[in-house]
Amino acid sequence: MSTPVIAEPASNPAAEPAIVKGGPTAAQRVTSFMPVIALVTLLAALTIADPDFLSQRSLTAAVRTSAPLVVLAAGATLVVLCGGIDLSIAALCSLSTVFFAMWLPDVGGLTILAVVAAAGAIGAVQGIAHVLLRIPSFVVTLGGMSIFSAIALVISDAGPIRVVDRDATSWLNLYVAGYVPMSFFVAFLVVAVISLVIKLTPLESFVRATGYSESAARLAGTPVDLVKVAAFTVSGACAGLAAVMLASRNFSGSPTMADNLLLPAVAAIVVGGTAITGGHGSLWRSLAGALVVTLLRVGLPIVGVPSAWEQILYGAIIVAAVALTLDRSKVAIIK
Amino acid sequence: MTIPLTEHPETGATGPVHALEVRGLVKHYPGVKALDGVDLVVRQNEVLGLAGENGAGKSTLLKALVGLVRPDAGEIWVRGEKVRLKSVVDAADHGIGMVFQEQSLVPNLTAAENIVLGSEGPGVRRGIYRWDTMRRLAQEQLDKIGSHIDPLARTDSLSFAERQMVEIAKVLRIEERTSNPPVIILDEPTSVLESKEIETLFTQVRRLREFASVVFVSHRLDEVLDVCDRVAVLRGGVSVGEMPTADAVPTDLHRLMIGSTGSDDHYHEGLAERSADEGEPRLVVKGLCGKTFRDVDLEVRAGEIVGIVGVHGSGREDVCRALFGAEPTLAGEVTLDGQPLDLSGTRAAVASGVGYVPAERKIEGMVGPMSVADNMTLTKQKSRCAGPMVVPQKQASLVDKWIERLSIRTPHRGTQIGRLSGGNQQKVVLARWLVAGDIRLLLLDHPTRGLDIGARSEVYRLMRELANSGVATVLLADSLEEAIGMSDRIIVMSDGRATTEVGCPSGGKPTPLDLVKEMV
Repeated sequence: MSTPVIAEPASNPAAEPAIVKGGPTAAQRVTSFMPVIALVTLLAALTIADPDFLSQRSLTAAVRTSAPLVVLAAGATLVVLCGGIDLSIAALCSLSTVFFAMWLPDVGGLTILAVVAAAGAIGAVQGIAHVLLRIPSFVVTLGGMSIFSAIALVISDAGPIRVVDRDATSWLNLYVAGYVPMSFFVAFLVVAVISLVIKLTPLESFVRATGYSESAARLAGTPVDLVKVAAFTVSGACAGLAAVMLASRNFSGSPTMADNLLLPAVAAIVVGGTAITGGHGSLWRSLAGALVVTLLRVGLPIVGVPSAWEQILYGAIIVAAVALTLDRSKVAIIK
Repeated sequence: MTIPLTEHPETGATGPVHALEVRGLVKHYPGVKALDGVDLVVRQNEVLGLAGENGAGKSTLLKALVGLVRPDAGEIWVRGEKVRLKSVVDAADHGIGMVFQEQSLVPNLTAAENIVLGSEGPGVRRGIYRWDTMRRLAQEQLDKIGSHIDPLARTDSLSFAERQMVEIAKVLRIEERTSNPPVIILDEPTSVLESKEIETLFTQVRRLREFASVVFVSHRLDEVLDVCDRVAVLRGGVSVGEMPTADAVPTDLHRLMIGSTGSDDHYHEGLAERSADEGEPRLVVKGLCGKTFRDVDLEVRAGEIVGIVGVHGSGREDVCRALFGAEPTLAGEVTLDGQPLDLSGTRAAVASGVGYVPAERKIEGMVGPMSVADNMTLTKQKSRCAGPMVVPQKQASLVDKWIERLSIRTPHRGTQIGRLSGGNQQKVVLARWLVAGDIRLLLLDHPTRGLDIGARSEVYRLMRELANSGVATVLLADSLEEAIGMSDRIIVMSDGRATTEVGCPSGGKPTPLDLVKEMV
């Protein structure tokens, strides 16, 4: 037996580099431009398939069709940025079209505001349930989806309700600067205003911190619960506004009118590159995503794909987009 | 660095074929060099102690040995054969098994089911459980370690110590997979055991040595010296030496663990300005009760650093979180500068001038993908706003000022905090509480966890400066030495109660052993 062997390390452990990793990876760069790349590719493909597609008339029509989807996806994006998901948007939107058609004769010109406020309040209730009862947002809004659908069916007697006063929303069918449909302009405005408010205030920090790491956000003393409830409120209000757009276009409210918009809205968010796990993304991305989804929708018949395939495409898009954007190092267990 | 071959302490045989050998193992994580060239030899039928401070790389090394972590470089040799371990099963096939620090049994299964779980063998035929075979298999395992636990007892009805025996019995199943004697790794097996149970465990470890090699990891140096034949020491991800335990004393081992830099004024005691018993207490806690602690009394004066020490499960982390409103309390009075402190939530705590640095920096302390600037101003938003609006220039000048004052090494304030080294990350997290200049009480939960010595020293200096400016500090230190070095007073917690208070003035510091006596 000898004396203890003590060897000092040759290197100085304090000489640690300040920076360990480099910039964003190639994959991150691609995904950050994904919505724009997809949009341009689609436009090019559709133009090749049908050279008439790149006309002012069809583009205007496509953009007008996209307006409710843009608004719906924009609101839900906020919830996703906070790390949650709002599955109730489509059902709430359908319910709101019924509200709109039913309230218009009595409330008159203020119906739009009333519907947006009511839908916002319903969104807030979901947010409060999620925060106070500590139920996953997925479950709360899945329940909400079913409840809102049922309420819509009950109060509408399970049928469409005609919009009696078309003048109340006729302004939505006007054009801005001659070419831009008013409904799309409003959708654009919604995205711009919400984005700007978030950007210019501490809200951006709050939302991103909540989405990336809720426990860190809470321990930093940020108003996590308030931010989440606000996100659900905005999501609900956006569903209300989308309902006004749908009802004004169809001249009626119906308990299932927006039900087929849930999948496209989620597809718009993930195609835009907003991380489904929260934190990373923006409303502008969802705007681009919604345009991509709309182009697909109007473009499929052009290239001769039956519309029954639409749903298959949405499903595939969502899975593929999340597969591309999901940061698996952040999620310990994929449930 | 080479580790000379020495004779086996008992058999006296020299042999190049070791049960397990690690050569130059390297593993880097973003911001941390967890392993930076580790060499380790585990001989046949020996109990090897593995010692090192928190962040020395012990856990990463162990995980690499059972295939949970893929090393970036270096080699692992099992009985003279170079291996690449891809999973726990792979490691088991090579005869390496680990009893994890956090117990890994399924609580609502029986002991027998847990023991054969994942290696049922003949216990399952055509997809159907054969209970008698399972029970027999489990009993065989329990017999190996001479345990009298009923294999059909539900795991959650067993005591901690019994569950540990079940874990050891379970890990010995790897003997079925290899003809060679197994290598069993025990990661902090004593941290939740009482002293009588620890004795039982040690008997078990000595019994294991008859037919296996054991790697024993513990924070308690006396235990390491008691049960191990030889001890290897890691520091900062590097093997810094090894010694036979026969003629070693804890201080030798300790000197090796903290390194020679620990000898001079590592804790910046020279900077401490305040004298004891000065002024009114800033924080007064009376009879605070929560789920895991009871009747905790605590006083901290302005400018004072009070350490709370205690073993795992003493409840000190929860007291800390409760004072920040992050953990519910059941009873008790807390005042800050004479005003009742609102413990209802973290927002209220922040508004009262209380700050908290969590132990889990990467998960709870910072938001990795956000910038240094946004992390620094996350809490005190007013410091970068005019009215409701963020003023980018205001934020930029404020953040740059603190980057300079704390010498935070970052290329730019807009760099993602996740890309900085651990020490610089921690400085940003600390700066979060300082930017508004309204901090009165700072709760530090393991503020130096995972930091290298240089970064630690800078955090210590910062703590001293804050104390000198009048901030009251509660410190949950990473090690007893750190608690002693930094604190003016130390509260010892045990089983959720504050049991003793030990004065800790500069010049009259207690030794770690003094504190350990109070802790057990």
